[in-house]
Amino acid sequence: MRRRLTSTMARLVLAIFVLQLLSSALAIFFLRGQMLEVVHSDRVRQVTDVRDDLLAAYYDGGHDGLADFIARRRGSAADPTVFVALLGKDAPVLSNLARVPDIPVTPQPRALTVDRGADLPPIEGVAQASVLSDGDRLIVGVMSATERRLDFAFATAVGLTIAMAAALALASALLLGAVISRRTHELADTAAQLGRGNFGVRVPLAQTGDGFDHLRQQMNLMAERIDSLVSQLGSIGGALAHDLRSPVARLTAAIDTALAKADDPAAADALQAARSDADLLRQMLENALEISRLEGGALEDRRVTLDLATVAEDLVELYEPLAEQSGVALEAELAHATVRADRELLSRALANLIDNALKYGGKRIVVGTRASSTWAEISVSDDGPGIAAEDRGRVVERFVRLDNARTLPGGGLGLAMVAAVARLHGGELVLSGESGLVAILRLPR
Amino acid sequence: MAGRILLVEDDAQIADYIARGLDEEGFTVDRAGNGRDGLFLATDSQFDVVVLDRMLPAMDGLALLKAMRAAEVQTPVIMLSALGSTDDRVAGLTAGADDYLPKPFSFAELLARVQALMRRGAGGGGTAKPQDTVLRCADLELDRLTRVVKRGGRKIAMQPREFRLLEYMLLHQGEVVTRTMLLEAVWDYHFDPGTNVIDVHISRLRRKIDDGEVQALFHTVRGAGYRLGTE
Repeated sequence: MRRRLTSTMARLVLAIFVLQLLSSALAIFFLRGQMLEVVHSDRVRQVTDVRDDLLAAYYDGGHDGLADFIARRRGSAADPTVFVALLGKDAPVLSNLARVPDIPVTPQPRALTVDRGADLPPIEGVAQASVLSDGDRLIVGVMSATERRLDFAFATAVGLTIAMAAALALASALLLGAVISRRTHELADTAAQLGRGNFGVRVPLAQTGDGFDHLRQQMNLMAERIDSLVSQLGSIGGALAHDLRSPVARLTAAIDTALAKADDPAAADALQAARSDADLLRQMLENALEISRLEGGALEDRRVTLDLATVAEDLVELYEPLAEQSGVALEAELAHATVRADRELLSRALANLIDNALKYGGKRIVVGTRASSTWAEISVSDDGPGIAAEDRGRVVERFVRLDNARTLPGGGLGLAMVAAVARLHGGELVLSGESGLVAILRLPR
Repeated sequence: MAGRILLVEDDAQIADYIARGLDEEGFTVDRAGNGRDGLFLATDSQFDVVVLDRMLPAMDGLALLKAMRAAEVQTPVIMLSALGSTDDRVAGLTAGADDYLPKPFSFAELLARVQALMRRGAGGGGTAKPQDTVLRCADLELDRLTRVVKRGGRKIAMQPREFRLLEYMLLHQGEVVTRTMLLEAVWDYHFDPGTNVIDVHISRLRRKIDDGEVQALFHTVRGAGYRLGTE
């Protein structure tokens, strides 16, 4: 399972969450404002109604009638949410109140906090004070816990919204993430296959017409282009080989013709030298083309199950007389190591390594084979001057020859070719050694 | 050795060089500069060997070869190619080529191979035949069953690879065998190891066979290879 919540995904989740929350909060606060206004205007109307009722009682029964009306809580004053205070020369008449609220006389009712006595909590309300014709002050109000309940409800709603928004944001991000992840990985897998040299792969089109489909189409077009370029490269390689080899062939031919007719020994020597250089040129050309072919991965698979020990033994046997003639001890330390490999290419690679050791190495060369459960390797160790650690990465590149090697014949393609063979088999060429050089061709099993 | 050879090669300079060389060796050479003419000549007349370039105008060498074999023309074909990889060699041999020579080659190499093909075409000339159990050359004797090698009455100890090398030389006695031919036939390698590894093998074998003898059987052919024979 691939990672779904990448940093991109996390940012996406956060963005969705914040946006959802903001839109919900806006809606909630608008609603709250509207409802509070409705509640408030309702109260104001109720206050006005009660006041009108009380004023009617005042006109009918005067100050005493009104006081009686208030004390007995008659008519609209019977509502438990209504409170009234009549203040004047006499003792104040209070209904539903512990203390006289201090509010100025205003044309419109206004909000206040009502003290209902010691055992009851204060409560919000709306009240209006008016002056009666005898100079008394009448305060009428309505109290209610509606705002508090409303605010509590809104708080709950906000909490719920946050929770919902978070859950929804996470769910949608995961879903989106999964979809995007699946599509991008599909594309990435195809790209990876292209990278590995499988130029025939294409992404299936979904015909959805969206950005992803566009990307798939473009990717397929790109793959098509790479495919045709690579096959063009192959034919260019062949043409180049033809174009370059033919002049070299003609050169060799001309030298051979001249050589057959050269009676002057000095001329013959010079021609012989030209002939060796033409041969060297041919060999470099061939090796360079071979490496291009190997690296292009355009070779036919000719791998068989073989024992590296047999491959090594054959080559040691081939080079042993030459080593003996050069005064070098060529030894084999072989252990069975079966692996799937191309015998010809592997032999060539090993021949290159032995050849290098004979040219640049010391007096003793050991060819060894070993295997573990996961890899098999051939090593060629010599006791020569070796290669400095900082040069080891460089010598496997094409045409790189180290200064001490420039005086000896060779095209500088030996180790690059070995490395290419190793890569073609999914393995590697490792150069090491304390004194002398140990070249290890390691292949996966 | 006289014989009639068809040379199909579009590069005029190389064709001249090959034709002149073969002519000097006593062969009659017919030339074609493209695949279509080549196929026409190959199917129309009798040749001992066809030297065929792989890349040709009008008709590719491989296609020509396939068409020739389809028309049941069994003339031995040696294919020349600038494509030297193993894949290309195998493709050439699969298509019906008898030998495959990567360009550039030395004329001596081509000549040796043409001569070998002509002998094979002539039913294996020379004195040794592939089915013989005992191969001889003058007083040298190689028994393929007991794996005993004798020169006169002297028994010569042989390592397995030396035995195969001598066996190949005996089977091709009188012919020039090149280093590449030996590397292919005795070691089954189709690459050029560069250094003359084969020369050292031959000189070892040569010491064993010829040292102390009046008549040398191993001969070095300058610029080409070796020949085993009485002269």
